[in-house]
Amino acid sequence: MSTVSVEHLSKSYGATTAVEDVSFVVESGEVFALLGPNGAGKTTTIEILEGFRSRDRGDVKVLGFDPGDRLRARELRERMGVVLQELAVEPFLSVRQALARNAGYYPNPRSVDEVLQLIGLEQKASAKVKSLSGGQQRRLDLGLGIVGNPELMFLDEPTTGFDPSARRGAWDLVRSLTRGGTTVILTTHYMDEAEALADRVAVINAGTIVAEGTPESLGGRDVGEASIRFVLPTGVAVSDMPVALTSVHGELGEIRTDREIEVLAALTTWALEGGHELRSLTVERSTLEDVYLRLTGYQAASATEAVVT
Amino acid sequence: MSATAAIRPIRGVDDLRLVGRQIRYEQISFWLNPISAIFTIGFSVVFMILLEASAGSSRSSNLANLKLIQYYAGGFIAYGVMSTCFNQLAISLVVRREMGLLKRLRLSPLPTWALFAAILGNAVIITAIQVVALLLIGRIGYHVVLPHNWAAFVVALVVGVVAFTAIGIAMSTVIPNQEAAGPLVSIVFFILLFLSGLWYPIAAKSGLAQIASVFPVRHMILAMLAPFDPRKSGWAGNDLLIMAIWGVGALLVASRRWAWAPRAAQGSGLTRRRLGLFR
Repeated sequence: MSTVSVEHLSKSYGATTAVEDVSFVVESGEVFALLGPNGAGKTTTIEILEGFRSRDRGDVKVLGFDPGDRLRARELRERMGVVLQELAVEPFLSVRQALARNAGYYPNPRSVDEVLQLIGLEQKASAKVKSLSGGQQRRLDLGLGIVGNPELMFLDEPTTGFDPSARRGAWDLVRSLTRGGTTVILTTHYMDEAEALADRVAVINAGTIVAEGTPESLGGRDVGEASIRFVLPTGVAVSDMPVALTSVHGELGEIRTDREIEVLAALTTWALEGGHELRSLTVERSTLEDVYLRLTGYQAASATEAVVT
Repeated sequence: MSATAAIRPIRGVDDLRLVGRQIRYEQISFWLNPISAIFTIGFSVVFMILLEASAGSSRSSNLANLKLIQYYAGGFIAYGVMSTCFNQLAISLVVRREMGLLKRLRLSPLPTWALFAAILGNAVIITAIQVVALLLIGRIGYHVVLPHNWAAFVVALVVGVVAFTAIGIAMSTVIPNQEAAGPLVSIVFFILLFLSGLWYPIAAKSGLAQIASVFPVRHMILAMLAPFDPRKSGWAGNDLLIMAIWGVGALLVASRRWAWAPRAAQGSGLTRRRLGLFR
């Protein structure tokens, strides 16, 4: 049985549609990322799964429970953990007190010392929460999410505001959780975060899922056209190149093609035979960010690219 | 059978322990926050010392020549209950809501009823400490005659704590944000205290008393005063009834308006996060 299944989920606030006919499945042990711009419906979806928000239509099952069922809400919450966007820890408790208090809510919690070690706050165990730095508070927040030893974790933009090393630390923590079999649903608007953590990604835009798949295959990026770029050789007119360029950005030329082997062969043969230089030669498929921007309808200002015909 | 057996919203002894633990953490949060502790406990003690000292041996013609020291003893015990259950609770609930602490609790397995039981238990403990302190200071410092009817004294305290806890919770639901909480609650509280004659007793038949009688604050003061007035039975049935009605009304407001999620950040209906308390 899937850990989470969502079928035809819809939710409106008055005249505004927040989520429209969203369906997806998350299998046990999987890391599933909901990717989308602000206001796309990520948080609404995740809050419906948490049982924090009611839904208008659709079938939702989380760990076998209907999250809208108030009578079973306590059982569901004993088996899930949540890390919210906002910091939310009592300022006057010590780190250890905050963790011990929340551990007491769960039937089968992790030990407080284990959590302190996982989040790297052993040295701060007796410090007041309000004396922690922003990053340390976020780590404590993460600790409060895992202290109940959950089967399912909801991470709502877990690393927003982290510095790069704190983000790596949080990623390592998430990976260690998934190695222990925890299923993770995370929302993020960082592409690298989805790419680093998620087994599967769904891109949500304006309340609907516009693409779903592994980070490697999302939006056809594994089969689509590649981009070949290099610095234009000096003393060669663009029209004298063996292959037509798609565009020129300053001294950088770009060829977009789905037959990159043939194009590269023609290009490199020409360079070797004619003694031309092809500095900074790269071959790239579209990045996850390119795919994401395309899927969420971002239009680059066309004036920045000089199109060569 | 198995389906119903699996649903266990309430779990006997384990849940009592859960509430006990939650009360302990409510207490830690209260005492370690210097502002809440000083404003709540310190004010009732300091106010009572000042007014008892100024009262001397004078009597109030507005209270059929009852000694003022007796009036202030009952009055500031009433003040202590109200500042704990109304003032302190309403402000701290707004702060907890706007900081996201209530949302986090909502997403934990702690049942809603256990949270409110702990909030009430916390109020009872803080009130009990104040009552003992105020009685001792009054007795030792100013020769206040202790209540002649302890049963009526305790019943008035219990009704007061429960009613004003409900009113405090309801008050928190009508305050939009953290910045407004302190000023709004204090203004409402101190105007009602003044109207109700806490600082200086007002005549029962006066216009001021008529207005104040609509609100629960004056009834709380009168209910706490009755056991300190040796010429009366000590019971203040009408006052308790009116407080109880206010308490029930407050519960209705609270259950309709209660929100777990911060309200201040929500401009549009899109991010409105409200869930009925008893839904």
